[in-house]
Order: sequence, then C-alpha cells, then structure tokens
Amino acid sequence: MRRSPPAEVGAASATQRKAARGRSGIGRLLPRLPILGDLRLGRRLAWVIVLLIVLVAAILVYNTRAIGQQRGSALVVNLAARQRALVERYTKDVLLVVDGFKADPRDSGEAVRQPVDVLLDGGSVRAPKGDGSRVEIQPVRDWRVRRKLEQDRRLIDELIATGDGLLESGRADPERYAADVTKLRVLTAQLSSVANDAAQEITQQTEASLDRLVRIELGLGLLSALAALAMGLLLRRAGAEQAAQFRSLVNNSSDLITVLAPDGTIAYQSPSVQRVLGRRAADLVGTPLADLVHPDDQHDVDGSLTELVEAAPGATANFACRLQHNEGSWRQVESTCTNLVDDPRVHGLVLNIRDVTEQAALRQSIGDLLHNLARRSQGLVDRQLELIDDLEKHEVDPDRLQGLFRMDHLATRMRRNVENLIVLSGVDQRRRWSEAVPLRDVVEAAVAEVEEYSRVQIAGLHDLTLAGQAASDVAHLLAELVENATTFSSPTTRVEVSGGPTGNGYVLEIEDHGIGMSDAEMAEANRRLAEPLAADVSMSRMMGFHVVGRLAVRHGIRVQLRHCWFGGVTALVLLPAALLGSAGGRPATAPVPAGVAFSPEPLLVANTMKSSWQPRAHLPLRRHAAPAPNRGGDTDAAAEAGDPVE
Amino acid sequence: MAWTWVGRRWLWALGLVLVLGALALAVPLTVDRRDEPEPRGTPVNVLLEDFQVERDVAIVPAGTVSLRIRNQGPTSHELIVVRSDLAPDKLPLQSDGLTVNEDGRGVKLLEEAEGLDIDDRKTMVLDLTPGNYVMYCNLEGHYLGGMYAALTAR
Repeated sequence: MRRSPPAEVGAASATQRKAARGRSGIGRLLPRLPILGDLRLGRRLAWVIVLLIVLVAAILVYNTRAIGQQRGSALVVNLAARQRALVERYTKDVLLVVDGFKADPRDSGEAVRQPVDVLLDGGSVRAPKGDGSRVEIQPVRDWRVRRKLEQDRRLIDELIATGDGLLESGRADPERYAADVTKLRVLTAQLSSVANDAAQEITQQTEASLDRLVRIELGLGLLSALAALAMGLLLRRAGAEQAAQFRSLVNNSSDLITVLAPDGTIAYQSPSVQRVLGRRAADLVGTPLADLVHPDDQHDVDGSLTELVEAAPGATANFACRLQHNEGSWRQVESTCTNLVDDPRVHGLVLNIRDVTEQAALRQSIGDLLHNLARRSQGLVDRQLELIDDLEKHEVDPDRLQGLFRMDHLATRMRRNVENLIVLSGVDQRRRWSEAVPLRDVVEAAVAEVEEYSRVQIAGLHDLTLAGQAASDVAHLLAELVENATTFSSPTTRVEVSGGPTGNGYVLEIEDHGIGMSDAEMAEANRRLAEPLAADVSMSRMMGFHVVGRLAVRHGIRVQLRHCWFGGVTALVLLPAALLGSAGGRPATAPVPAGVAFSPEPLLVANTMKSSWQPRAHLPLRRHAAPAPNRGGDTDAAAEAGDPVE
Repeated sequence: MAWTWVGRRWLWALGLVLVLGALALAVPLTVDRRDEPEPRGTPVNVLLEDFQVERDVAIVPAGTVSLRIRNQGPTSHELIVVRSDLAPDKLPLQSDGLTVNEDGRGVKLLEEAEGLDIDDRKTMVLDLTPGNYVMYCNLEGHYLGGMYAALTAR
C-alpha cells in the first residue's frame, strides 16, 4: 500500500515536440504572440505580417528622406537668391570706391563666394529663417548642379578680379574704366543668370524627387493596404475556422456544455442535450437548471454551485446528480463545473456534463455481484466462527486450543475481508446499535480483530461514547488502520492508539514505528482517503484505503496520514462531535486550546485514563484472549496479513 | 512540392501584390519622351556653351535648314534666331543694357528654343530665305558675354 509505482509521464511532451516540428521559420514565433498564437494561423500570416512591417518601415524611411530633401532644397534656393543681391552689392561697392565714396568691397566679395563654396564643399551656412542660427548642409552631389555652381565660382573669381583691377586703375584710363565697368555689369548679369539656373535646377530636381517619393509612397501605401487587407482576411478566415471547429466540437461532443447564469438559469446549452436528454437546446435556455435536477439531488447541486460561485474565479467543482430526460426517465450524470462569472466573455458557470447512466448501472451491477458473493461468504465465515467457538469452549488440551485460537484469528480476518467487499459494493447492511457504545470498547474491538493485537498499546482514551449506528463502521475502520500499522512496522515495535479532544470532535491516533511512506505515496493515500473512488481497477490494489475512505465518508469522519517525526506513520481519525456522547453526563468534547484542530500536528494524549475494556457481545470482538502470536512459525498468517489494507 | 504549403490562391495573391508593387515603383521612374520634329533640309549642328555659340557651318543654302542644337553647359541656355543685317555684336539692347531687344530696329525674330539644360538637344527647323541671320542666347549677360554667332543663307 505504501509503495505505489511512480506515474509515467511523457506522452504529452512527445505530442508537443511533434507539433513544434510541424512549424518552421517565422511560424515558430507565432505561439509567442498572445493573440495570434491562439488562432494558429501559421506561416501565411507570418509572411503577411513581415511584409507589412517592411512596407511600413520603407514608408517611414522615405518620409524621413523627403522631409530632409525639402529642408535642404529650401535652404539651397534661398542661398541662390541671396547671391544675386550680394553680387549686385559687390559691383555697387566697387563703383562707389572708384568714385571716391567710402566702402569696402572686399567683405561683399567674400560674401559672394561663401555660399557657393558651402554648396560645393559642404559646411555651415546661416539658416534662411533669419534668426541668426547656422545649419550644416551636405555638399551638392548632382553633377549638373555641381557644374553650374563651379561655373558660378569661376564667374565670381572673374568678377572679383575685374573689381580688383578697376579699384587699382580707377578712372585713370577712361577706356579701360568703361570696359571694366561693362564687364562688371555683364559678369553680374551672368552670375545672376547662373545662380538662378542653379537654383532652378535644384528646385526642379527636388520637385521631381518629391514627386517620385510621393508616387513611391502611394505604391507602398497601396501595398500596405493590400497586406492589411490580406491579413484581415486571414484573421477573419482563421477566426471563422476556429469558431467552426469549436462549434463542431461542441455540437458533436457526447458531453453537454452548459453555461449557467449567476441566477441559476441556463444561458447556453450545447445541442448535444438533444441526444442525452431528448430536449432542444433552445427550449432550455432561460430555464433554471434546477428544473432538470432530481429532487433528491437538488440540495447537493445547489450547495456545490453556491459554493463555486463564492469561490475564486476559475475554481472548479465536481458533482453528480440525476437529470430528467424529456420522456420522464432519469439520467445519471457527472459534472465538472468551472467558475467563469468574472470572465466577460462567459459571465457564468461552465458545466461539462457527462452522461454516466450506463456506467452507474454497471457499477451497481458489480456492486450487487460483490455484495451477493460477500454475503454468502459472510454467512459461511460466521458459521465457521461459531463452530470454532464451540470447539474452543470444550477443548482442554493447550496445544490444540492454541491451534483453534489461530483458526479463530484467520476466520476473523476473513470475515473483515468479506465485510470490505460489502463496503465496496456500496451496500450499507452493517449491524447497527440504537444505544451509544463506549469509545474504548470500539477501539478495543478494532484492536482485537488484528492478529498482532498484543503489539498494540492503547495509550489512553477519554470516557466518551460513540453513536450506535457508527460503532461497527468505526471499529472496522480502526481495525484496518491498526492492522496496516502492525503489518508495516517491525514485530518488535509497538503500535500506539491514543486519543484526544479537538474543537470539533475527537481525534484518534494510530502511530507505528515502521518504514514510513514517501511524500508522494502519502499524498496519494490521503487523496484516496479523502475522495474514495467508485469501483475501478485500482480498488483491488488499494482496497484498504478505499474501505477506510468509504466508511469515513459514510459518517462524516476524516482520516489523514502523517509522517512521525521519529519515523513511521501516524493515522489520524477525526470523529465528529455529532457521533460522540458523554459516558458520565460530561460534555462529549473537552475544551481545547485555540489553534488545536485536525490539521496541525497530532495531539498526544496523556495516559491518564484507565482502561475499562470489557468484551461486548454486540460488537464483532474476538471472544477469547488469544495467546501471543508465533510469528516465526506462522508463515501463512504472515502472508495473509502481508497486505491487510491494500 | 516546395510551394504546396502556400497554396495556389496564395501564390496568385502574392503575384498580384508583386505586380502592383512593381507598377507603383515603375511609374515614377518613367521618362517623358518629347516630340521632336523630324530633321529636314540642311542640317546645321549648333553647340551652346558658356558663353559662346558654335556651329559647324556659317553659310547654308537657302531653304529648309535644321538646326540641331545641343547645350554643353555648364549652365542653361536658350537659342534665338533673328534675321538682321546688323553685325552680330551690334544688335539692339533692351533698356537694362544686358539683353537683346528682339523687337528692336533691324531685327526680326524667327524662332527661339528656350530652357536648354545641360546635354539637352533640340532640333529647330527653319525656312531660311537668302540673307543674314544671328543666333544668340538672350539670358542676362550671355549675349554681352559673347554668346552669339552669325549664319548666312544663300
């Protein structure tokens, strides 16, 4: 029982690896996208997205270039326009100086040269905004504009040379003066023409470039629109495919998918309800679920759903009930319910309901079969025990009497096994007593059913009584746990049974010093104890836990296994206060310090109570004090007791 | 097949996108073609440059003459053809003293070719009667800078 094999895993991961191999390239990135990954659009959308991104990036780059070119063009045209004024100013300054007026044409001459130098060679010029700031411009690269600017610079050089000659000769030689002045005027006109030509060339090129950019942007925009359209179509198609797939799954599922509104009415019902309950889904929408539930199950269903609504979002709950078929019959169903009230897309409880009517009938048949077989065996074992009892009463030879006692043990064990089968069959036909039974008697009766009862020490129990209807089941439950403790611990160690009150009942502790259990085994055992499954294959392997769990559930008893700090296992059995009574008129449960409850460490009970065990005929007790077991020679008994609970 | 994952429809869609993209990119790159008159009569090659006009012949037979003009630059120019018995450097000027007055005395405007940028070529077809003609650029300062040439038709 304590060494279950580890669960095998890996099938799911193999499927995931296979799915991952199916993708390639950019498609592998899709699952990382939170929205698109769910749609499973694959490589098509990936490529469309990449194309869209490239197009948008290209548009941004071209926009940036266009803005830069516009800015540079405005600056260049402005500089060309300024040059005409500078040339004219230079010519005027030269003539003024020649005529004796005070002026300095050298500065204006440099001013004429500087913009052309900047345009040809790059550099810093005063910004056309007129705010005194300077901007850096790149050298002109276009060969047409460069040739014009180079011609411009040659003309400027010629202009300044002519001006210098005029300044030097003055009006001394009238003919030369007239020729130089004419040349100055012609050069000024030519410079103006060339500057205008260069500016016009730049403007035309810029306009052509902008026009080209606009067309390219239009083309890119068109491509982007097409890509966006394609992506939209893909998304729509993928969404439609997914919705159709989901619809198909829901419609063809053998299970019912039901969404309950918070008020308990059906907000959505899958069409499979027609197959399961013979009802149309549309007819059920808006009707309360309770109208379908069997009256005997409504309380449990209401309780489960109410508890789930109050639980955290996403919490789940399981319940079983009967739903009424349209023809009036009842279908046994099991439901897994999820709280999605806070999900705006659902706003309700999602019930996955499975029709288990056939399975339930099969389980009932198996239970009936088990019960019938067990009842027949039980009768035989009871007769066997009576016969052994008679023989023991009349036997005087000690050796033969010891043999009869061993037969008595084995028959008692057989009887408990038979009773296990009856418990597992789901039929409650145990003997019940109307009067309360002292708790100590119940514990001692359980201990007496164990072959190695002599190793069991009852450390101390309070003077309480147990409700008569639960006495047999509790004795059976304790017997299984005590036998488990004696089997999985050394024959030289003792098993201690003690008890103590808690705030909500009374805890019995069965503590052994055995080999213990791993954490995983203990977790699995506690899960079985808390939620005993229906009859299945695993039941035969872990019969003891199933029996204990079922007996506990029958009376609201909680059973839990824990590690002992010195090794071994402690089984805690919490008897609810409703089953307990006071033997001497005292309260059933003594006040306990705050914080002491079922879940904390076991409460060790001081051995202050004197044992008052007296064999009671109305409990399934061994009727004779048996001799100490001979473990060395009793191999059959050891084999029989090798796995008493499992 | 390597394209099976795409599917035929997606191939068509991809092809359509590529064609539209190519069209969008090709339109701005197309060059406007100018209508040029077919050369007729006597050809005369005229070369414009800063600041002179060169022609391969100075005397042509009267009749149809095709001036095949090419601007070597480096700046833009124009070519104006006038009939005048005045000396080529003595054409009347405008009041600014920088450009020729084409409506001036002794000058009759025949034809003009404007906006010739670097490497631009243009053919000007003229019916020349016997007489003297002057070809010049009338941008500011160009004529005064020496950008003219005489042409005689006999």
